[in-house]
Parts: sequence; structure tokens; C-alpha cells
Amino acid sequence: MSGGLNTARFLGGWLLKSAAVLLAVMTLNFFLLRLAPGDPAVVMAGEAGASDAQFLEQIRKDYGLDRPLPEQLLNYVTNVAKGNLGYSYRNRRPVADMILERLPATMLLTVSAFVLALLLGTALGVLAAAREGRWQDGAITVVALAFYAMPLFWVGLLMILFFSAYLGWFPAFGMASFTVSGNAFARALDTTWHLVLPAFTLGLFYVATYARLARASILEVKHQDFVRTARAKGLPPGRILRAHMLRNALLPVITFAGIQAGQLVGGAVVVETVFAWPGIGRLAFEGLLQRDYNLLMGVFLLSAMMVMVINLMTDLLYRVADPRVRAGA
Amino acid sequence: MKDFWAIYRRNKGSIIGLVILVVVLIVALAGPLLMPGDPWEIKARPLLPPSTTFLMGTDVLGRDVLAGVVHGAQVSLLIGLVSTLVAVTLGLLLGAFAGYFGGPVDDIVVRITEFVQTIPSFILAMVLVAVLGPSIGSIVISIAVVTWPPVCRLVRAEFMSLVQREFVEAAVVSGQRTANIIFREILPNALSPIIVMASLMVATAILTESALSFMGLGDPNRISWGYMIGAARSALRQAWWISVFPGAAIFLTVLAINLVGEGLNDALNPRLARRGRV
Amino acid sequence: MNETLVIDIRNLSVALPPGADRPFAIEDVSFALLPQEVLCIVGESGSGKSLTSQAIMGLLPGPEVHIASGSIHFEGRDLATLEDREMQALRGARIAMIFQEPMTALNPVMRVGDQITEMFRFHGRAHEAADRVVELLGAVGLPDPASIKDAYPFRLSGGQRQRVMIAMALALDPAVLIADEPTTALDVMTQKQILALIKDLQRERHTSCLFITHDFGVVAEIADRVGVMQSGKLVEIGPAREILEQPQHPYTRRLIAAVPRLEPPDRAPLSDRKTIVEVKGVDKTYASRGGWLKRRPVHAVKDASFSVRSGETLAIVGQSGSGKSTLARCMVRLVDADAGSMTLAGAEGDLLRMSKSRFHRHRPLVQMVFQDPYASLNPRHRVGDIIAKGMLAQGHPRDAAAARVKSLLELVQLDASAAERFPHEFSGGQRQRIGIARALALEPKLLVADEPVSALDVSIQAQVLELLAEIQQRLDLAVLFITHDLRVAAQIADTVAVMHQGEIVEHGPARRIFLEPQHEYTRALIAAIPGRAWLAPSDRIARQEATS
Repeated sequence: MSGGLNTARFLGGWLLKSAAVLLAVMTLNFFLLRLAPGDPAVVMAGEAGASDAQFLEQIRKDYGLDRPLPEQLLNYVTNVAKGNLGYSYRNRRPVADMILERLPATMLLTVSAFVLALLLGTALGVLAAAREGRWQDGAITVVALAFYAMPLFWVGLLMILFFSAYLGWFPAFGMASFTVSGNAFARALDTTWHLVLPAFTLGLFYVATYARLARASILEVKHQDFVRTARAKGLPPGRILRAHMLRNALLPVITFAGIQAGQLVGGAVVVETVFAWPGIGRLAFEGLLQRDYNLLMGVFLLSAMMVMVINLMTDLLYRVADPRVRAGA
Repeated sequence: MKDFWAIYRRNKGSIIGLVILVVVLIVALAGPLLMPGDPWEIKARPLLPPSTTFLMGTDVLGRDVLAGVVHGAQVSLLIGLVSTLVAVTLGLLLGAFAGYFGGPVDDIVVRITEFVQTIPSFILAMVLVAVLGPSIGSIVISIAVVTWPPVCRLVRAEFMSLVQREFVEAAVVSGQRTANIIFREILPNALSPIIVMASLMVATAILTESALSFMGLGDPNRISWGYMIGAARSALRQAWWISVFPGAAIFLTVLAINLVGEGLNDALNPRLARRGRV
Repeated sequence: MNETLVIDIRNLSVALPPGADRPFAIEDVSFALLPQEVLCIVGESGSGKSLTSQAIMGLLPGPEVHIASGSIHFEGRDLATLEDREMQALRGARIAMIFQEPMTALNPVMRVGDQITEMFRFHGRAHEAADRVVELLGAVGLPDPASIKDAYPFRLSGGQRQRVMIAMALALDPAVLIADEPTTALDVMTQKQILALIKDLQRERHTSCLFITHDFGVVAEIADRVGVMQSGKLVEIGPAREILEQPQHPYTRRLIAAVPRLEPPDRAPLSDRKTIVEVKGVDKTYASRGGWLKRRPVHAVKDASFSVRSGETLAIVGQSGSGKSTLARCMVRLVDADAGSMTLAGAEGDLLRMSKSRFHRHRPLVQMVFQDPYASLNPRHRVGDIIAKGMLAQGHPRDAAAARVKSLLELVQLDASAAERFPHEFSGGQRQRIGIARALALEPKLLVADEPVSALDVSIQAQVLELLAEIQQRLDLAVLFITHDLRVAAQIADTVAVMHQGEIVEHGPARRIFLEPQHEYTRALIAAIPGRAWLAPSDRIARQEATS
């Protein structure tokens, strides 16, 4: 079977694509830095570093700011590829270190929200389609419409107000409590407890999106020829829904989830800011306040990488679901 | 025109949406005239709860929240509309050429579209506004830059399917010029889904603008709903009204636009609407 | 109720939702299905024939389309009164159905074998599945049933998928097989095989078959009895022989008269006519569209040459994939040929080689009539504008164009007021007339008609063909007529060219091609036409084959 070869080709393709995207982002970063008004060295030094003349000189040397543009670009890209994302004067640390330290927290948040959105959203969408026209369908549609219209940060604040301040069920800030013991299991539980509100906040918008898409997709599939064949075969409605309609209807949802991955990661920035979640999104917010562009660009690059990883997940999921894609047809 | 309105009317949600939208528009246009005065002006003690004098209370510095909400409507709607206009124009042109000519032109456009959709667009918008300096102009540009891909994909898909239709082939055979074919034969048939998408994009643009303002990247000279919520974070628990009212304003506006968009979809694409609405 | 009737339908009426063009889809229809017979229900689009079969299966679309009155007796029960649960037990097990479009009829993400197995599983016969699945796949003529069992539908061709459908339908040995236009979407040779398969299996398993079709040739090929439906009513029913040879009802007579026969009529000799178009060595290969996949390039047209005289109709006949559509598109330069030349009387130079800008001036010489009446007219433009557009593009003044539009509409027998209306206000046949008017607007010397009647009902088809013949005579037009339907070609062609896999395998006067085909492909093609004996009574060979 050519399945193995196709999978290898698929992974190879993903690697190539990721490399291309990251390269493009690096180039974009390079030109964005030049776009800012003023001396590029001052821009790259950030608000805090701009006052230090020695630091400015160092930057000019490291990035070859007096060289012709193409050489600067090459210089910049090779630097980044080696892992040098610049130096944050304010925090007295290399940007790369700061980002890598906080990356796991963002990954935890983003992947949790993504999985939550996909599972809950699809489940609700299927329920709404199965009960088309009845109260469950109406309720789900209305709630989905509502969450689809709420700004992410507002949902987060409302969650804090209600579930944290008023009900006291969940913590409002951070990823860990100070009072938790050293036991790994206890710490994991504590993290999960802190994760609930942020993950739901980030996920709910997409729950709404996927629910509506899943519902529409199932209703669309209902009219397809092969569903008519299944009915003509005398199969019970439950079987038709599970084995025939669902897998075909969910393919577009998976595709769409992949496309939306970029937005999801972007949303993490806002959610981390609201909940003081110690991830790279919050780092970006701090970078904004401090006008630390290197930090911002670094976050941009790494979040692009995260999107590629999520895309890999969705593409693999799609391959599992659709045999036509597996065979390279 | 009559049929359009008849179908639109059938959807209760769309009518509600239209009503809310009209109210918002009136507030945006006439509000600042009816409620004169600077929303930045400190009017009373800070953190006053809603009362008869201050229907929405006062914020951390003592400014009238209601005044902020009324004046903020302008910024959100303006940015929402203009950035959508720019994004749609850009997406339309790129998508039309890609869909019609195919080949290398199409390949390039598809690569660019995929790239912009892959990268986290909100972060790019943040970076752009930060780099260009926050102002209405830079916000419009950054939102437009990150939201044009879906329009481009839609237009491209429509064009690709329409180009193969026999009436387009007939136009070629009867000797019509390419520009004529693109704009007078194909485009009128592709308009309906584009209009629906454009209306939904205005909603997304407003959400993005409010998020940018919340993060501190709003135009410092104009008060906007996102900014108000961002500024109130420290006082969240004591003064819920500063966060809730502006947020509710955003919510209602976006909801109204979405409902209107759905109504438009039903009215303009009747065959699709009957099956399953998204 | 008569015990010997398999299905007994009495006074069945199916209501349509308010606002439809008539209150009932089927009105007061009564007929019976006898044991072990093939009963064909024949009719044009909108006759209600498909809905009848759906009503029997309980698969009517949606609550607004429902059985209003009447009964459907089967195995001691009235199906019209059964709950969906009870119908579910009967569907597939006692009454099975196969549909028209095999490419979309199977679940694309489920293996073929599993789709047959689930029939056994969900009708309480799971233990039989393992042995029977492979046997069934073999019985319907699929190669290597053991591996096909594990294949996904996308690996199978249309004909193969239809065989799988038949296997699924007959898996549980139902008493009745309902076939709703099962061969309409297949090419003529595959159609012949599937029809034979259905007939054989039906005879073997003593199943009764209700076969819906619009094609009288198919009726002649397999029907024991035939019923004719018009606008929801059953107008005539009886033994196939009788109805085909001596139809009683005027509608049936009209329909049968409209079916093109396989015997080309005598045509005036063309030797004294001037040659208008000379085509030499047209060649076209489609490169694979880039990407990772190495699809082999398709050599669509191989070295095609022919000529057409004024007043002559050359029919290019072939199945899908033969290259005939590509060839037609090369003629009007919708597709640019890789090689070859086309010269036209009255034009300087090779029309295929000259630059697009030079060709623009010569466009009026070669015009095209398209296949799909619902896609070939821009829905947003008025009919008058559609017809006039070509003239305006060539620089004619508006009022001259408007006047010509009027005379063209008259030529195609449409009212002058049509110019102000939109395409959706017209029927399929009328739209084709508009398409013809548009093609004639520029006064072409060569008219390329790409399957112009394939999408039309047989009675409308006859009208449009008549119109074309009239116009051709009046204007001395040369016509290149592309079609997959040999019967149509027999009726209208002076000369026939048969295409197979890009090559013209045989080329000659229509009479000779049909009565004395030389090339083996041509012979196979003609042999595959359903109902040949009936369509070509003087063809002794066909008659012998039919009675054997």
C-alpha cells in the first residue's frame, strides 16, 4: 500500500511549509521593524534600552545596521535561525529565553481551548441538528449567536466577575496558587483549576462557531445522495447519523478549525492578559507596554510556529477521517 | 426588491437585528450632538454606581460612562465600516484575478492568502499598530491587512466556478472583452455571498478594534468601548458597571450585525438558506 | 386483494406543497406489479414517475409532499398507512431501490464491503454477512471481489459503483427491486452491461422490477410491461410489445414518434455543395495541473481532420472522454489546440494559429450552441441583451442590433416580447432556442452545436432538432453537431465521425455508418444502443440478437 509513502510525503510537505512560513514571518518582522518611525537601533532597543548609548552601539554592531539592506536581512534571519531573538534591556534577559520559558503555559491554554471548542462545539452542533426545529436546536442556536458576538476580553471579565468574584468557584488570576504543596499531582490539579476559566473563555467563541458549522454541515449532508441510499437500505436513523452522516459532515468542521487556528492563538494573547496567565501572550502585552519590539516580534514568530503545530494536528485528524486524502487521490 | 424584503422580513431575528442596528447608528450619529460635552471630562466622584444622574455610573477617574458609550459608538462603527471596505476591495480584486486567470497568478495569490491566514492575525495587527503608532488610520490599515483573506477565498471560489459556466464561455465565443466578462458577466452573479460576507466582516472588525483598544492600542484621542473596558480592569470587582456597559454595547452592535447578515443571506441566497443555516 | 400481485397500487395521489405548479405530484394512479416481471414506468421530467417510486418506499421528500389518498398493497399490508419504523424493516429487505447517480450514491468514507455488510447487520441477518458479501460482489460482475470488498468507493468507476448498488439492493433477496433511472448517468456501453445484469439477476432470483426511465430504447430493451405517465397521471399501461408497436393514447403516440430512430433517412446529396470548413490535424494534450501528484497528461484529441460543406451536418459522435467536447472547443478557440489548422471560406489564414486579436475579427464566422440551457444564459441579463452582446462586441450600432434581435427571435419561433424578459422565465426548450438565436446573431458560416439537446426531454428535443434543421436549410449553414446519442446523430446527420479516445476512428455518410459500420468500435457502439431492434426495424441483425 502506498499509505506509508503518502504519510511520509505529507509530513515532508508540512515541514517544508512550516519552514517557508517561519522564514516569511522572519522577513516580515525584519521589515516591520524598519517600518517604525525613527532610528532602527532605537526601535530595537526598546523604551528602556534607548537611553543606554553603549547598548545602542552593540545593537548597531550585532545587526549590522550600517550595511546594505539585503545583507541586514540575511544577518537578521541567520540570527533568528540560530535562536537569537534579541535582548530585552528592561528584563536583562535574551528574548528567546523569556519566550521559551513561557511557551508551555500558552500551549497548555491554547490546546485545551482548541480541544474543548472542537469537542463541545461539535457535540452541540450535532445535538442541534438531530433535534432540528425543537427547543434544543433553538436554544443552542441562540446561545451560539450570543457567544459569537461577545468580545473575548469581555467574556473573560464577566467570567471573573461571576465565577470568581461572585461564586468563588475558580481563581481569577495566574496559573498556580502560592499555597499548593510540592506534590506533582496536587500541582497538576491546581493548574487545571486555574485553567478552567481562561480555557473556557478562549474556547467559547469557537464552540459557538463550530456548533453552528457542525449543525449546518449535518443538515447539508442530510440531503446528499448517499444518505438517501442509506435510508433506502432500511437502516435505523441512529445508524445513519453515526456511520453515514457524522463522519462526512464533520470533515468541513475539521478543515475550518485548522484555518481558524491562527485566530485562536491570537485570541490567547487577549485571554492571557485578562487572566494574567503566564504565557507568551501576556509577554506580548508587556512588550507592548514597554515598547519592546524584539519581544513582540519574538512572540509573533513563536506563535506562528504554534499555529503550524495545531495545523499539523488538524491535518492529521482529517487524514484519519477521510480515506481519499490518505490515498493521495 | 420586493421579494428581497419579503424574505428578509420572515426571519424575526433579522428584524430585531435591524432595529438594534438602526438604534446604534442613531446613537453614533446623533448621540454626541444630543449629549454634548467631552466624554474625557471628569464630571463627578470616581466609581459611582449607576443612578438617575449617571445612568451608567462613573469610571475610575470620575468620567461619565454613558457619555463614553455614546461617543465611543462613532469610533467603532467608523473603523468597522472603513476597514471592511478596504479589506473587501482588496480581497475582491485579488480573488477575481486569481479565479479568472488561474495559472501562476492564482498560485501566487493562494500562497499569500494561505500565509496571512496561517499566521496569528491578531498579533500581526497588534504589531502593526504598535509599529505605526496607534491612530484611527493605523488601526484601519492593520484590520484590513489581516481580514482580507476570507473575502479573497470566497471571490476566488465563486469566480473559479463561474468561469467554467457555459454563459461565460458563450461570452468569450461571441467576442466579448475580458474586462467586460469579469465585471459585467461574472461579478453580478458573485455579489450575493460577497455582500453577506462583508456584513459579517464589519462585525469581526468591530470586535478586533475593541480588542486592540483594550490592549491599549486604540487612538489616544478618541474614546472607544474597548479602551473603557481596558482602563477599568483594576476596578473590576468594585465597579462592574464600567466593564459591563461598554461591553454590552459591543455585544449588541455585533449581534445586530450578525443577525442582519443572516437575514441578508436568507434573502439573497434563498436556495441555500432553506437547507441549513450557519 | 389479488394474491398474485406483488404490489397493488390503487388510486394513489401524492400532494405537493401549496404554491407548486399543480396540486398533486401524482393523481389517482393505479397499477400493479406482477410477479417476476420488469415493469417500466416511462415519462418526461415532471411526470411524477420518480415520486411514485419514492412513495412506495416511503421516501417522499419532506412533510409537505405526502400521500394524500390511495393505497399501496404489498405482502398483505398497505404501505401508505405504515409508520416509518415499520417501513424501515421493509426497506432493503423486501423492497430495495437503486438510484440514478452512482458517483454520489455510496458513502465516500466507508468501505464497499462494510456498506453491504450493514444491510445484513441491521436487518437481523448478521451471521450471513461474512459469506455472502464476497459472493454478491462476484454475482454482479465485479473483478476480484475479495479485494473490492475492502476498497473505498473513490477507487471504483461509475459502472462499478452501480454494480455495488445492485449488489446491496439484492443482498437480502427482496421481492421487489425499484430502479430509478439507474443507467441514465452511464455511458452507452456500460449501460448495456448494467441493463443485462439487472435483467439476468431479476430472472435468476425471481424478483419483480419496477424500472423508471425516460428512454424508450431502454423500455424496448428490458420491459415486459410498460406504463406511461404524464403530468402525474398514468395515461397508458400494457405489454411492452403492444405499447411500442401500437400506442393508443395520443401522448404516448407523440412521445414514441419523437424518439429518433436508428435508421438515417435519405438525405440530399452534398457533392455539389461548396466546402466551407477544412480542419486538419488538430491535436490537444492537457498537461497535468502541477502539485505533488504525478497525473499522466491526457491526450484529448489526436490528429483530427475533417471538412464540412455548406448545408451539411457533420455529427461527431463519442462517449465521455472521447475528446469530442475538446475538439468542439478548439473550433471556437475556447481551448487552444497544440497543433492543427482550420481554414474557412471567406477568411484569410489559419483560424487556429492566428493571434487572439486577429481572431477577434473572425469570431462571427464560427459560433457555438451550448449544452445546458440552464447554465448557458447569464441569469442576470435580459434575453435581448444576451442575444445582442456579440453584435455590440463586434462594433455594430445599438439600433441595428436591436432590430436583428427581433428578427432572430422570430426565426427561432419566440415572441418578440421575450427580449425584455429574464432567462428564468423560460423553459429548457425555449432557452435553447434563445441560445440558438444568440449563436446566429453574428451570421456564422459554421455552427458548432455541443450536445444541444442532451439536457432536454425527448418531445422538446424533437422540436429543437426540427428548428435546427429548418434554420440550416434556410441559411445554408454548415453544422458541426457533437453528441453522445447515436439516435440523435442518425436522425440529423449527413455525415458522421465516430471518436474514441481522441481519435476519429470512422468517418463517412450517415447511412453507411449505421447500416454498414466498418470499425469495431463503431460496431460495438451501435450494438450497445438499447432497444435497437425496435429503433431500427430493418436492421435484421439487431432483430436476431433481440430474439435470441
